[in-house]
Amino acid sequence: MDQDKNWKCGKCGVDLVPRKTSFSYLGRTFSHEVLRCPQCGNVLIPRELAEGRMAEVEQQMEDK
Amino acid sequence: MRLEEATAHVARCFNGEPASCTYACPFGLDIRALLEKVSKGRWTPAYKLLRNAVVFPAVVGALCEQPCRAHCQRTQVGDEALAIRDLEVACSGWAKSRKAELFVIPPKTQRVAVLGAGPAGLACAICLAQNKFRITLFDQASGWGGSLRQHPGFAGFAADFSLQFTGVDAEFRYGTEIRSLAELGEYDAIYVATGKDGADFGLLGSWDRNLLSTSDPKVFLGGELSGASLMASMAMGKDASRTIESFLLAGKASGKPASDRSHCERYLDHDGAGHSPLVPKSDGRVYTEDEAKAEAARCFQCDCAACEAGCEMLKRFRKKPLRIGMEVYTDAMASSVISPRTMTRETYSCNLCGHCKAVCPVAADVGALLQFSRADRVDQGKQVPALHDYWLREMDFNATEGAFSAAPKGSRTCTLAFFPGCKLGAANPQHLLKAYDYLSEKHGAGIILDCCGAPAYWAGENQRLAAHLDGIRNHWRGMGRPTLVFACAYCEKMLRQFLPEIPRLSLYEMLAEDEMLVPAGGFPEATVFDPCAARDDQGLEAAVRSLARKAGAVLDELPQANRCCGFGGHIRLANPELYEEIAQHRAQASERPYIVYCANCREVFRLQGKPCAHVLDLVFSLDPDAPVPSLNQKKGNSLEVKKIIMEKSTDIHFIPETHGWDGLKLVMADALVEAMDRKLITADDLREAVWLAEQTSATFLLPAEGVWQCSMVKDALTYWVQYRILGPHEYEVLDAYSHRMRFSRED
Repeated sequence: MDQDKNWKCGKCGVDLVPRKTSFSYLGRTFSHEVLRCPQCGNVLIPRELAEGRMAEVEQQMEDK
Repeated sequence: MRLEEATAHVARCFNGEPASCTYACPFGLDIRALLEKVSKGRWTPAYKLLRNAVVFPAVVGALCEQPCRAHCQRTQVGDEALAIRDLEVACSGWAKSRKAELFVIPPKTQRVAVLGAGPAGLACAICLAQNKFRITLFDQASGWGGSLRQHPGFAGFAADFSLQFTGVDAEFRYGTEIRSLAELGEYDAIYVATGKDGADFGLLGSWDRNLLSTSDPKVFLGGELSGASLMASMAMGKDASRTIESFLLAGKASGKPASDRSHCERYLDHDGAGHSPLVPKSDGRVYTEDEAKAEAARCFQCDCAACEAGCEMLKRFRKKPLRIGMEVYTDAMASSVISPRTMTRETYSCNLCGHCKAVCPVAADVGALLQFSRADRVDQGKQVPALHDYWLREMDFNATEGAFSAAPKGSRTCTLAFFPGCKLGAANPQHLLKAYDYLSEKHGAGIILDCCGAPAYWAGENQRLAAHLDGIRNHWRGMGRPTLVFACAYCEKMLRQFLPEIPRLSLYEMLAEDEMLVPAGGFPEATVFDPCAARDDQGLEAAVRSLARKAGAVLDELPQANRCCGFGGHIRLANPELYEEIAQHRAQASERPYIVYCANCREVFRLQGKPCAHVLDLVFSLDPDAPVPSLNQKKGNSLEVKKIIMEKSTDIHFIPETHGWDGLKLVMADALVEAMDRKLITADDLREAVWLAEQTSATFLLPAEGVWQCSMVKDALTYWVQYRILGPHEYEVLDAYSHRMRFSRED
């Protein structure tokens, strides 16, 4: 799992940490904990999340 | 959106309406439902259904002339009609309970006099009495039955009258002759059913056949007195009870509208149905339970579902056209926060191929309804952008950077111009270039490289479509209004629909008429797969067959023609599983290889592993096995075609737009490219993402592995790329994916 590896921010050079992050789709917002740079806030979305839970929620939102 | 706007497309659909036999029945008995229950041996529910419709099953079972049998659709395949009356008798015989259904209804104060205790009067009286009106029947005879009293089977009829009147309050005054209606002044309504040649009290002349009313507002009339047959008289008695009830409760007589008798002949297609002979009665009188079940099982259960029968999408969502019409409307009115929409996925899962309309006996058009819904969603800002974003961007590219139009070299105008469409050259530049060479050399044709606007139409982007079509019209006018020659049936369909002023010709018909051409190659035995857009274009279909035969192919036909290969309507992102299912079904529709004349059909079938050739491969002796290009290769092909044609017709050297990321070299495994193509992620998207990220250092890194990752938000999607740096401007792409949701970098 990419999430378990020691990702560093390419700009700040620091380790990413899990942080609550806000997501939005089709007018709705949600929050989820994902890896982010503690300094610049840049967000890393691993494939498992993008094609797993995120895709599920996207489909649910589209169907409403 | 108004409800009528949504339902208009499917308003004539008669799915769920009674079958032809029911329209022929004087009582409107739901014969289909009755036989379904009988076939399962559900005798008591079947009997209840029968009794509620015909009032006195014993009379109907013995005396009905069965007009339904003349309209039984079993006869359409040469079988004998269902033995309805025998089944009705069996129903009465085998039902374990025939007790009358009595409802707890408060008694009513209104009094109704029924003149005549024959079948018509009794039918009216029992229906009103069940609804707790105070009923008095008058008859000159000494008992009930009217004209049936002379019938040899009267004892059985009388037993049925007794059974049905069990537990129902009604007063019978026999041996009583009413000479004037003035004698009945205490009654709130009167039903005159005095039988054939009975007293009409001077009212028959003012009788309304539909409402059964007369010039006296409280007097109604019907039965054999009116000249009706026995069965029609009983049905009339039942109808009269409804009219009288409405008169007593609402002060105004009203009845249900008369059913449309022409629907008796609304027969469905039963091709392929097996024969099934009439089941005989072993004792010659009454069916045994098993015999009755077997006879009832012969019923076709006629209900039209022709559209659903051949459409994977309608089968998957299991909604009938009228319901779809309603839900398109309710979706348009819904706020997804309060009341969820129900049709979104289905709306974007339709190939818009026209099959449903083509097979519908009344031309109901679910596809047009769903395109209408897509357009309405765009107008209201309720569309799902990610579902069509890729193809709209592709259309923009084809209408700008990929577009070109010119008359033949040295001319400003022409009488003929090739409109190859955006896919022909993208999929195989040789198809376009060879066809253009042929048309320009033989016919002095010019060319318009552009998209027909189908992606905007399929996305419901009607304004965008209108603007795009304006562009095509302007190019066409600027070239002296030439006749356009089409290589894509969908392009031709689009322009026929939206730019009908443009004269059109089919490339394939022109090629087929050319005696000098010698098509070759392909397959010894093949099936021509006609695209959905060629529906009803017999000239086009015949031309392609002629070319294929000239190339030596022995052809057979698909059981169903003009089915969409799966590409139509751009459903692939909205419903990937359905897309795959449709593509597989079409690829497997014939064991023979296909000869196609639509670039999309070719791509879909090649990706399914189906041997197939484009008819232009045969005409111009090209390799039918040329691989399907990747998304990026298609774009490159389009630009290359434009470059060649532009230089040929204008001597201008075309230089495509350049971008900062063009020089980035990406190394990718074939499997990854295939996976990206399936998700419509292009290598250019990845180049752009890496280039932008490297500029801003907005990257992530696994230092021990030397793996980098970055993202890019573009239109409706966020793209992710995982890569290794191989050298200056050279990257090995390890993974690529996308999502539709947006994230925030703010806390």
